[in-house]
Amino acid sequence: MNKFEVLGFEPRFGLDAVELERRYKELSKKLHPDRFATAPAKERIASLAAATALNDAYRTLRAPVARAAHLLEIHGRKLGQNESVDQAFLMEILELREALAEAQAEGDAPRIQALGGDIGGRRAAALTALGEALDAERWDDAKRELVLLRYFDRFLAAHGDEEEDE
Amino acid sequence: MTLFQISEPGQSRIKEHCAARAVGIDLGTTNSLVAAVRDGEPRVLCDAEGRALLPSVVHYGAEGGTIVGWDAKARAADFPHDTIVSVKRFMGRGPKDAEAQRKLTPYELAGDGPVVRFRVPGREVTPIEVSAEILRTLRERAEAELDGPLDGAVITVPAYFDDAQRQATRDAGRLAGLEVLRLLNEPTAAALAYGLDKGSRGTYAVYDFGGGTFDISILKLEDGVFEVKATGGDTALGGDDFDRAIAEKVLAEMGWGGDKAAVRRVLDAARTAREALTAAETAEIAVGTFRRTLARAEVEAWIRPIVDRTGPTCRRALKDAGVAPGELDGVILVGGATRTPLVRRFVASTFGREPLGDIDPDQVVALGAAVQADILAGGRRDDVLLLDVIPLSLGLETMGGVVERLIPRNSTIPAGATQTFTTFADNQTGYDIHVVQGERDTVEHCRSLARFNLKGLPPMPAGMARAEITFLVDADGILHVTAREETTGIEAAIDVKPSYGLTDEEVERMLLDSYEHAEEDKQARLLLGERVDAERVLAATRAAMRDDAALLTDEWRAAMDAGIADLAAKLAGADHRAIHEAIEALDRASQPFAEARMNRALERGMRGRRIEDVERL
Repeated sequence: MNKFEVLGFEPRFGLDAVELERRYKELSKKLHPDRFATAPAKERIASLAAATALNDAYRTLRAPVARAAHLLEIHGRKLGQNESVDQAFLMEILELREALAEAQAEGDAPRIQALGGDIGGRRAAALTALGEALDAERWDDAKRELVLLRYFDRFLAAHGDEEEDE
Repeated sequence: MTLFQISEPGQSRIKEHCAARAVGIDLGTTNSLVAAVRDGEPRVLCDAEGRALLPSVVHYGAEGGTIVGWDAKARAADFPHDTIVSVKRFMGRGPKDAEAQRKLTPYELAGDGPVVRFRVPGREVTPIEVSAEILRTLRERAEAELDGPLDGAVITVPAYFDDAQRQATRDAGRLAGLEVLRLLNEPTAAALAYGLDKGSRGTYAVYDFGGGTFDISILKLEDGVFEVKATGGDTALGGDDFDRAIAEKVLAEMGWGGDKAAVRRVLDAARTAREALTAAETAEIAVGTFRRTLARAEVEAWIRPIVDRTGPTCRRALKDAGVAPGELDGVILVGGATRTPLVRRFVASTFGREPLGDIDPDQVVALGAAVQADILAGGRRDDVLLLDVIPLSLGLETMGGVVERLIPRNSTIPAGATQTFTTFADNQTGYDIHVVQGERDTVEHCRSLARFNLKGLPPMPAGMARAEITFLVDADGILHVTAREETTGIEAAIDVKPSYGLTDEEVERMLLDSYEHAEEDKQARLLLGERVDAERVLAATRAAMRDDAALLTDEWRAAMDAGIADLAAKLAGADHRAIHEAIEALDRASQPFAEARMNRALERGMRGRRIEDVERL
């Protein structure tokens, strides 16, 4: 059973977030181990497995990037750890990471913010392109956008972590 | 951490269609409570003297036996080594951990194993056993109140407790003879108590500052579902730290020479002064001949750095939850330390609103736990469900000490992950796997949970055997591991070596030990209990005879002196019945004197009233 099926959805990128949450909570009320706290061991194990799968499916479908990756996996394009990527893009992102690290070391807040805003914008554009490619079933294009998104997200994670350590 | 094993519950199995005796227990750093739902309402269960709180203090007697609670607390200053206070701070911790290494600790720790061991008269005890004493006292209280054996209990833990701390709590419950239905996160329990009370919906922050732990949880309440969006905290930060900060200043002013009993007295005095400062602007601190007036502003300056430490944690939790302070519908205060005015001001400014505190912050967690126990045991309230999260990411050690994250923090539990390993040598039949918990990328900066040895793989050429290991965090937040060889489907065996806990075998052995020595332990406990009573009676009688010597007739005095001498002699022996009888005999001998004192007190009261009456006319 794929993760769309767990929550009763067609495997498509576009998803009604409100409906997703409603179904998740409804199913949780039925499957959660709290409902089986005093049941026989067999039922408790089954509930644990079902609730774990439900939580996993919900976590995947809720986040657009994870949802897209799962959709691609269903269509035989699972992302590996080291997907090839355009060399020029790789060089550029490495330089931007260096610039970010420098700005952070110097405590250059305006520069940090500008870098974050820039990548944030490009991430949004890639997400739109990803959605369009998935809807048009251009799986390979979608996969390429997803690889870019992963680089942008890693950049933003590095960007965010620094903000946190006040 | 345990292997994935769900066993059939034992004799205490809850029968369907039968009113279950299920309780909620707040096993706190400073105080513990037990509560149960009765007539549809959660209520705290009190002891025979009508007290709700049980100080989380265990005293170990010189000749065996234990005292738990108020009497133990009273002995802490005189027996600092043998009286364990704030044991929760040691749960799931090793002797090398910061808590055990603290400068101002009165305890003597033994050994070097994975678990802290306190050296008390005649033996060494682990924090799990100490906590089990507290839980057993609460169990007995609940059984007396509910008139029968318990079917199950929900025990609360700080949301930020890691796997080892949760496992230790669960083991303590087992040792205390409890069927632990669920470990429930304290802030979630508090939200349950509030949420059901108000039937509210919206997004809430729970700021839980207890005696020794700090938690922040962001929850969304909707249609009976309490969904934790994010949680954060510090399991070694609490009101105790306020006392320690005050005590350090006071000890310095006193010119402290290193006496451990003095530390306990100063810590107690600091706590009393701090509590007084909640309402008053100044408080007196007195230890021995040392006297000093503390101003609230002065103490606030000492404790402010501790309160400030909760700030970044709150902001991170909000960020993880994707919620801005302005989007919150309320902030709930939990834990005794939130009574401190400085903490309330800090919360108000951090979240931009006045916090809610209409349920007693000392009781709210136990009340919420009772509601959850009722839901789990009775199956009622089908519309209510708690969806909690794992507080810290779980990962595996990979090449070069780098952590590979398997289950990220704030994942809703139960949560699972599967990892496949291939062999790298011909005929390799096992792996060593190291599981860690934490947010950093290197193993040394994370908390080691356990090392597994996976064995029993069929001998095959390198890369052919593929072991699939499944990690599953259950609804208690405890990790379970199973392994299977993929090509042959053989279930592989796993040896668990908990980094900071007891193995299942060790807990089993403790359990057997406690059954074997049950009668012995009971006798020792009775003896110790009678001795404490005897000491109290002797001290009170002597004081009364001194204070009201004028009321004593020669006859009364002779009888009482004889009673005192007899009780003092029996106290030196080890017969609890003889001590009990001597207490009763002294009581009888004191009766006429006690009545004379009572009459005089009444007369004074009457006179007083008459004067008032006269004045009113």
